[in-house]
Amino acid sequence: MNAVSAFAWSVLQDALHRKVFYAILAFSVLLMLLIPMLPSASVGVQVDLLREAALGLTSIMAFLLAVILASTIIPAELGRRTIYNTLSRPVRRWQYYLGKYIGIMVVVAFALFVSLAVLLVMVGAKFGVFNPGLAKAVFTIFLEATVLAAVAMLASVRFSPLVCVLFTGLFYVVCHVKGDFLYRAMTDSGNHALLRGVSGFLYYLLPNLERMNINETVAHSERVFRVGAGELALLAAIALIFSCIFLYLGAWLFERRDL
Amino acid sequence: MEAVLSVEDLWKSYATRPGGPRRQALSGLGFSVPRNSVVGLLGPNGAGKTTTLKCVMGLARPDSGSIRIFGRDGGAVEARRKVGFLPEQPYFDLYLTPRKLLLYYGRLAGMEASAARPRISYLLNLVGMEDEADITMDKFSKGMLQRIGLAQALLAEPELLILDEPSSGLDPLGKLQVRDMLKSLSSGGTTILLSSHQLSEIEEICDRVIIIHKGREVASGALAELLEEEGECEVLLGKPVPESMATIPPTASWAEGGEGKRLLVPRDDLNAALASLLEAGASIAEVRSRRLSLEEFFVRRIGKQGWEVEG
Repeated sequence: MNAVSAFAWSVLQDALHRKVFYAILAFSVLLMLLIPMLPSASVGVQVDLLREAALGLTSIMAFLLAVILASTIIPAELGRRTIYNTLSRPVRRWQYYLGKYIGIMVVVAFALFVSLAVLLVMVGAKFGVFNPGLAKAVFTIFLEATVLAAVAMLASVRFSPLVCVLFTGLFYVVCHVKGDFLYRAMTDSGNHALLRGVSGFLYYLLPNLERMNINETVAHSERVFRVGAGELALLAAIALIFSCIFLYLGAWLFERRDL
Repeated sequence: MEAVLSVEDLWKSYATRPGGPRRQALSGLGFSVPRNSVVGLLGPNGAGKTTTLKCVMGLARPDSGSIRIFGRDGGAVEARRKVGFLPEQPYFDLYLTPRKLLLYYGRLAGMEASAARPRISYLLNLVGMEDEADITMDKFSKGMLQRIGLAQALLAEPELLILDEPSSGLDPLGKLQVRDMLKSLSSGGTTILLSSHQLSEIEEICDRVIIIHKGREVASGALAELLEEEGECEVLLGKPVPESMATIPPTASWAEGGEGKRLLVPRDDLNAALASLLEAGASIAEVRSRRLSLEEFFVRRIGKQGWEVEG
């Protein structure tokens, strides 16, 4: 595990020296601080709106960070040829791959922690409400980011960063509409058999990321649905399984790649 | 002699573009590196030197063939534990200081920080970078980065050192220091495989060479023996004869110099050349044995075409 943690540490060091990390974090915190200045809805729902908008911003920030880091780390190291110095040592390629992934998730977790802290302070200061339930939404944002980072990193073994970002964006969209759009495309007997087949294949193959989006529920203080520990554990298990599948595929491809 | 590295029938091809035709980089390459030797890997540009070293270090996967390092399969992590590698033009994360970079590499090599720190200080001193040990590398020159590259290759006290163009980017003094360092490492028992375009460097440091061209070995062995075997003889004439009168072997050639007209003839054709000269009425003043320089040997083996590619 020493090599894995060393690789993870290197990602943290790298991220802390990248302007994009600070830019994304600062931009998202700044926008969050500007939310109270938006034209208010009725006074009663103001806090809900603030929480929902801030969680939305937090999601975008976390996903951008995860996807950008995961899409660029391997291509950048290949481009700079720093990878020769690391992988010529007595380390296994999967250790490199896993270490880099863990490092990315540590960076995302750090950024989410900062966001959550800003959000809690902001809600507390403006409305006098302490809302630890927001941590549940931030946790599921993190879970979704783990899946997206694993997908982006898998793509980065073969493709350029731009292609990886686009591919992961497409994956994100499809996984968010699968419960509705894909299900209807799969079950509508009026559709062509091929479309129904492809929709069905994707429906059963891809994770339902929309299920991990509990921002609205948490923003509205879980008045309609309660997100319990069981639900969070199930979402964590889904994220873990899909992340592991994508990581395994990525590591397998990376093992076979010429550097 | 025990081989610490043996490469057998190595084949490797690359796709020139996705789905495009493949370019053959290595075509059945084979060689071995005996323990305690300093071996030079030579070849013109595109001969397959870097591909060979990448395959040896597990950075590229050969299509077929075998690589064994210290008797283990080359792909095994354990095989690389006793190997130090300097890639061509090493690049590092420039926001790190040399000390932090080497600590990171030390962790990857399984070294404890307490054991790595004194080793790092020693190596930075060895490569003349102790004063820059705690400065970020973003302002380092190419030569300074090359020195850090050498330090990282030596970090885990390797028994086999593989260096791709170790003197690249160094000033004359730096080159001299690298040569002295490699000689000192060699006398300390480190086996060295060195790829370089600088034939004078190879000739000075190496005791064996492997010359490859178009992915194949074209010559290998002890440097002194190879140069001696391929050497030629210089025949100085006491009484010159017109060239037309002596039917010299086609491999021989006339040369003019301070000592007058001389006949340069390969060792194998010496008897035939002498007989021909004597028959034509020449008197032989002296016959000297002349050892080839590595450059001459290289040009002969690779051929004019390969040399032009190099130049």
